[in-house]
Amino acid sequence: MTFNAAALLLLIAGLALIGWIAGRARSNLLAGRAQAKLHSRPQYHGWYVALWLFAPAALFLAVWSAVSPGLITNEVLASEAAKELPAFGFERGAILSDARNVAQGKQEAVRIAAATPLVKPYADATHRYAWIGIAAMLALALAGGLYAFTRIKPDFRARTRVEKIVMLLLLLASLVAILTTFGIVLSLLFESIRFFRLVSPTELLFGTQWAPTSGAPQPDTFGGIPLFWGTILIGAIIAMIVAIPIGMMSAVYLTQYANPRVRKWVKPCLEILAGVPTVVYGYFAALTVAPALREFAVAIGIPNASTESALAAGIVMGVMIIPFVSSMADDSINAVPQAMRDGSLALGATPNETIRQVLIPAALPGVMGGILLAVSRAIGETMIVVMAAGLSANMTANPFASVTTVTAQIVKLLTGDQEFDSAKTLAAFALGLVLFVVTLLLNIVALRIVKKYREAYE
Amino acid sequence: MIMTQEDLTITDPKMTAKGVNVFYGEKQAINDVSIDVGTDLVTAFIGPSGCGKSTFLRSLNRMNDTVAGAKVTGRIELDGEDIYAPSMDVVQLRARVGMVFQKPNPFPKSIYDNVAYGPRIHGLAPNKSDLDGIVEKALTRAGLWDEVKDRLAESGTALSGGQQQRLCIARAIAVDPEVVLMDEPCSALDPIATAKIEELIHELRGKFAIVIVTHNMQQAARVSQRTAFFHLGTLVEYGKTTDIFTNPKQERTKDYITGRYG
Amino acid sequence: MAIVNDHTVKAFDEDLNRLRGLISEMGGRAEQALLQAMTALNKGDLDLAAQVVRDDKKIDALEAEVEQLAVQTIALRAPMADDLREMIAALKIVSVVERIGDYAKNIAKRVALMDQTRSIEAIPLLMSMSNIVVELIHDALDSFAARDADLAVRVTVRDKNVDDFYNSIFRTLVTFMMENPKLISESAHLLFVAKNLERMGDHATNIAEMVYYVVTGGRMEERERGEQPEDGAAEQEQG
Repeated sequence: MTFNAAALLLLIAGLALIGWIAGRARSNLLAGRAQAKLHSRPQYHGWYVALWLFAPAALFLAVWSAVSPGLITNEVLASEAAKELPAFGFERGAILSDARNVAQGKQEAVRIAAATPLVKPYADATHRYAWIGIAAMLALALAGGLYAFTRIKPDFRARTRVEKIVMLLLLLASLVAILTTFGIVLSLLFESIRFFRLVSPTELLFGTQWAPTSGAPQPDTFGGIPLFWGTILIGAIIAMIVAIPIGMMSAVYLTQYANPRVRKWVKPCLEILAGVPTVVYGYFAALTVAPALREFAVAIGIPNASTESALAAGIVMGVMIIPFVSSMADDSINAVPQAMRDGSLALGATPNETIRQVLIPAALPGVMGGILLAVSRAIGETMIVVMAAGLSANMTANPFASVTTVTAQIVKLLTGDQEFDSAKTLAAFALGLVLFVVTLLLNIVALRIVKKYREAYE
Repeated sequence: MIMTQEDLTITDPKMTAKGVNVFYGEKQAINDVSIDVGTDLVTAFIGPSGCGKSTFLRSLNRMNDTVAGAKVTGRIELDGEDIYAPSMDVVQLRARVGMVFQKPNPFPKSIYDNVAYGPRIHGLAPNKSDLDGIVEKALTRAGLWDEVKDRLAESGTALSGGQQQRLCIARAIAVDPEVVLMDEPCSALDPIATAKIEELIHELRGKFAIVIVTHNMQQAARVSQRTAFFHLGTLVEYGKTTDIFTNPKQERTKDYITGRYG
Repeated sequence: MAIVNDHTVKAFDEDLNRLRGLISEMGGRAEQALLQAMTALNKGDLDLAAQVVRDDKKIDALEAEVEQLAVQTIALRAPMADDLREMIAALKIVSVVERIGDYAKNIAKRVALMDQTRSIEAIPLLMSMSNIVVELIHDALDSFAARDADLAVRVTVRDKNVDDFYNSIFRTLVTFMMENPKLISESAHLLFVAKNLERMGDHATNIAEMVYYVVTGGRMEERERGEQPEDGAAEQEQG
């Protein structure tokens, strides 16, 4: 007898179904007997009983599944047979897991001889805890079900209760996302604080030398400016120079000129571009675009052209962002009321004048929001820059030179064998925090702009 | 179709439609409509929803061209000139036949730029002071000048609904059109704003030929001299407004204006 | 012109029906007042005459009620076309019917002033004339109720008979007065009665003209009233 959570879940679901039927029947019966009108329809009484039956038991099941293995192990360790186990380390763990697997029927026989005496205590403990768990769960389910069942009366407000419970469940679901974000921020923050104990925040934010691997004789330097500049050069300047005009123009074409058939084909194609994994873009940037650009740079006589250029990464990143800008611009242009367009055309403006003088200005706030979102995506982008932009922290405006970005450096700092308490590794978290804060701010500003703009036409 | 009175004959029509049909794809929205629009008159198109009155109005300045699948047959003339002829430039046509829409649709620009939009794209004002003059004249004619002269730089969308609609009328007349088409210009406005627009229409009569589509029969009765009743895509009756509202000749017209419409 | 369709707003039809009901009641009362007044005159029945005078107040009250209802309907329902014409006609018709009632009252009041009139030979003529007038009023109001323009035209045609009667009674009474100077006062009263009847006929014609306007939207042409000799229909009506 083992503790099979899935089967038990089915069991209480079945009980809940019975509870639902019983609750519904009882409410009907009571209503009939008392000649009273039910406050809530019978289904709600059924749901009330079912939820009371199911929710506490399911919650217990979840908790019990998590804690019972620990309890079982503790009990085994307390047994006579466990006294002969090695004190610590890998061997002890292997013996325990071997014994557990045999006891729970996952393997036929022990692989390590020392595990044999532990099999029986393990089996006993597993068996006992399974029974305890099942008994407790059933008790909870029945208690909950009975409690709910006895509360059914014609004037009992089952509907409001059920709706409240459902609302709580929904709240719980949304809290998961919020709490996760919160947890991420916290973990970033704690690691960053550890880093800032070693290196001052001002050095990270305003220092101009980035050399975390220099080692002795010079100390490591953690000046973030070259990284920030690289990020801005690639993500906010080159990528946007590519993405904004192309994205805008394609949006204008798709919304204003394309006939429905063309639009039906082109729009999904653009959206496929957004679904291409970034690593594929990275290959494209590193293997196709970068060498071509280097040859071009050499041909026009730029001396220190590198195969890892800001331009290659920026252009490919721009291409990646095009669908993003295009679909935001498309939405904003479409959100400009048809009446506005008609108004301009009716004054004798050509479609071209209408687009330039009415539609784009009217759509501009929405487009700006889209661009800011695109920028925040671009600066958080990792694969392309890791593969194409290089890792040397140069402060240069030459787009053919190799630069590096915050994300690329984070990858570099965290890959390979690293001890998790050196300034080098911790610097990755601090950089992550900076990136997080910047993209968060960009997102907030962008969403604000988009929202404000949307309200203008409602 | 029946002309209700002999003296209906419009001697100098601004626009003339002869046997006009409008199709949206397979569907025929307008069936064989012939009508004269008088130069110094306000002409009202009335009829139940979906009767084609707006569709017909939009064919008078070729706004139907912007609708995919719309096709117009028959002949529509402006001063005797076929507006659907290949030689007719639709941009020029719309400068001559302006339009005001159901919902006020000022551009998200300043009040001044809204009115100056048309004159600018048509190059009507060689310099700033000329443009100022045009803007002031249009706003004055639209009865809005006194209300907005101190805040021309404010956004047109910040005005009230009625002011916005008068701004749209000012915008339309700023290019000095010959005909102004109004597609239910008051349906989004309250009664006071509506009254101001109606007064404005009254003021503008004689300066432009005005064609107004309205759901509100009382409004047609108040502002127009000629009324055309459309039903199911056909022109049922066209005549003097006074006759249409006191003594319509067609049973369908009578049923509609007396409120016996199915 | 039959009313095929009801108004989309049913309450409008209810208002119209109530208005028509009131007008028809008022017309009935006016006819009755005339009949009673003439009977009282014929028989010298002072009680009946007094009753006619009393009943006239009801006609006045009905007029006020119709006016109020019509104004209310115009304000609230904004009637158009034939509905509008009917409202306006209703207002005019009730004021005409009220006048008819007043003439009947006027005749009734004269009964008390004439105790020796039974011998005057004009009385039977007056009775015949009043019968025609009652018919005219009746038909005029019927044509309103039935929206019958043809009947309305016939009413205006027949008004000529009333005028002929009046002329003949006038001559008879003038001759009688010359022969019987003692009865000049009574005869003069009878002359007024004849004049009242003639006016009532004109009022019936007015009602008919209003009905014609309601139904057709146009004014009745002179020739339709049969005033041109070559109009055969008119000749026939007189026969």
